[in-house]
Amino acid sequence: MPDVILALLRIIFLGLVYLFVWQVARAIGSHLGISVRKKRKDGTRIVMVKSESQHGTEIEVRDVTVLGRSSEADVLLDDPYASEFHMRLVAQENGMVLHDLGSTNGTYVNGRRVTAPTNLHRGDNIQVGKTVMEVR
Amino acid sequence: MTRSASGATILAASVLAAFGVTLVNFAKGGNVDAQTALTFLVFAIAFGSVQLAVQTWAPRATPLLIGPIAALTAIGFIEVYRLDPVLGSLQRWWLLIAAGFAVLTLMLLAKSSTEIFRRYRNITLLVSMVLLLMPTLPTGWAFPLRGLELNGSRIWIVLDVGFTSLQFQPAEIAKLGLVIYMAAYLADHQRALREAHRQIGPFRFPEPRQLVPLLVTWGLSIVILISQRDLGASILLFAGFVLLLYAATGTTGYLALGGLLTAVAAVASYLAFDHVQRRVTAWLAPFENYQDEGYQIAQGIFALGTGSLTGSGPGLGRPDLIPNAATDFIFAAVGEELGFAGTVSVLALYTLVIAVGLGISFRSRDTFRKLLAAGLTFVFAVQTFLIIGGILRIVPLTGIPLPFMSYGGSALVGNMMLIAILLRISHEESA
Repeated sequence: MPDVILALLRIIFLGLVYLFVWQVARAIGSHLGISVRKKRKDGTRIVMVKSESQHGTEIEVRDVTVLGRSSEADVLLDDPYASEFHMRLVAQENGMVLHDLGSTNGTYVNGRRVTAPTNLHRGDNIQVGKTVMEVR
Repeated sequence: MTRSASGATILAASVLAAFGVTLVNFAKGGNVDAQTALTFLVFAIAFGSVQLAVQTWAPRATPLLIGPIAALTAIGFIEVYRLDPVLGSLQRWWLLIAAGFAVLTLMLLAKSSTEIFRRYRNITLLVSMVLLLMPTLPTGWAFPLRGLELNGSRIWIVLDVGFTSLQFQPAEIAKLGLVIYMAAYLADHQRALREAHRQIGPFRFPEPRQLVPLLVTWGLSIVILISQRDLGASILLFAGFVLLLYAATGTTGYLALGGLLTAVAAVASYLAFDHVQRRVTAWLAPFENYQDEGYQIAQGIFALGTGSLTGSGPGLGRPDLIPNAATDFIFAAVGEELGFAGTVSVLALYTLVIAVGLGISFRSRDTFRKLLAAGLTFVFAVQTFLIIGGILRIVPLTGIPLPFMSYGGSALVGNMMLIAILLRISHEESA
């Protein structure tokens, strides 16, 4: 058996051992809830840039998130002009879609009142009552 | 990871073992032969049957424990086979027997659950003590069960069964019983132990009367040290108990007191026993005492150094120059032939096993099971640390086997049962 092949096989063996360790470590990590962090997608995060009590709050939108003044809502909007269930955000491949849930005082995207489902992009402005949120 | 993925890791570990054996054959000028096939089959059957037993009697157990265990066994087995093919084939038999014991443990616990340990803790303690003291039986008498002294430690028993005699280290089983007793005891007395304490500086110290169990265990480990000259088991027992006491109470004073008692015992035994003195000399100055007591540790260091980054390759180094390479010094043999990369992967696998074990403990709601899982994991961890630390000269060398990697039937059986109990706890707690 030539030395080169033996050396190669040795490296392959070690490679397989490490592949094994990596697979098991990943499985254990996800089991314990320490998943390997995925790169955060653009345009699925909302930051409250103007709010009386919630200034700076960050919201990570996964799947479907309902915002409103009710404690039943996924994310509480502490604003007297917000409805109980004000709007719904649905995460998509790229960015999110905003649905106004028939709110009394309306939802404004970039200063325009929206009633139909609206695509949101990074940098868009959402206003509910006196609260202003930015898509990041 | 799903159940089938657990099966996949067993298959992968079996392939690793067979691949390594083949590399050893290549290095010796041989080829793929019966050893390759036999190794693959034995690994697949042994760990496959444990996996089947888990699916049958503990289906909700974590699927993450068997994989790394199988891989550790595979890496250790390759070196054992490389050092001595005869030991290799014996180790394969032991692997099958140990897997059988794991299956048996799972089957019996399925009927009674781990509560049975708690209920019969006193019997468990008694059996463990008898097992621990069995090697002190006289070697010369006519009774077919005898004690035996090997390499300066009296930790063996010999059972004559007509045509042949079986050798066994009962302490490997006894340590499980002792952990079970400790966990049951601490689960009962946890509240009392936790509440009665005094604050002295940064440490919380227990009330004097709460120290009785600590002192009893300390005494017991000294008795083991004197009667059997088994430094490893002695430290393992005491360190395991101190860690478990700390886990049960959160009282940092136990760690301080445990350290203090260890120091006292260490100095006293250094002054009293020349075999302890030799260990310490070999640890501090292996190269100055190269001709005698330092020889083994020095050879181990040479092996690790020669191995460099990726090692010489299985079968291409000279780990056979290290005394007891297949048992105590298997880690150094891996270091020589698989290099730094190999030893790091071994450490990673041990870390994963310990992480899963502690994870089982953290998730347990029942105090006894929580402490039992923690205690078993501590024993596993301390054992691994003591022997690897001894080879790397972090601590004095204590001749205890590296779990799942060293050649040795008793240790393999004991550790397989330990894993089986951990699996059972994880099943009972994920109900």
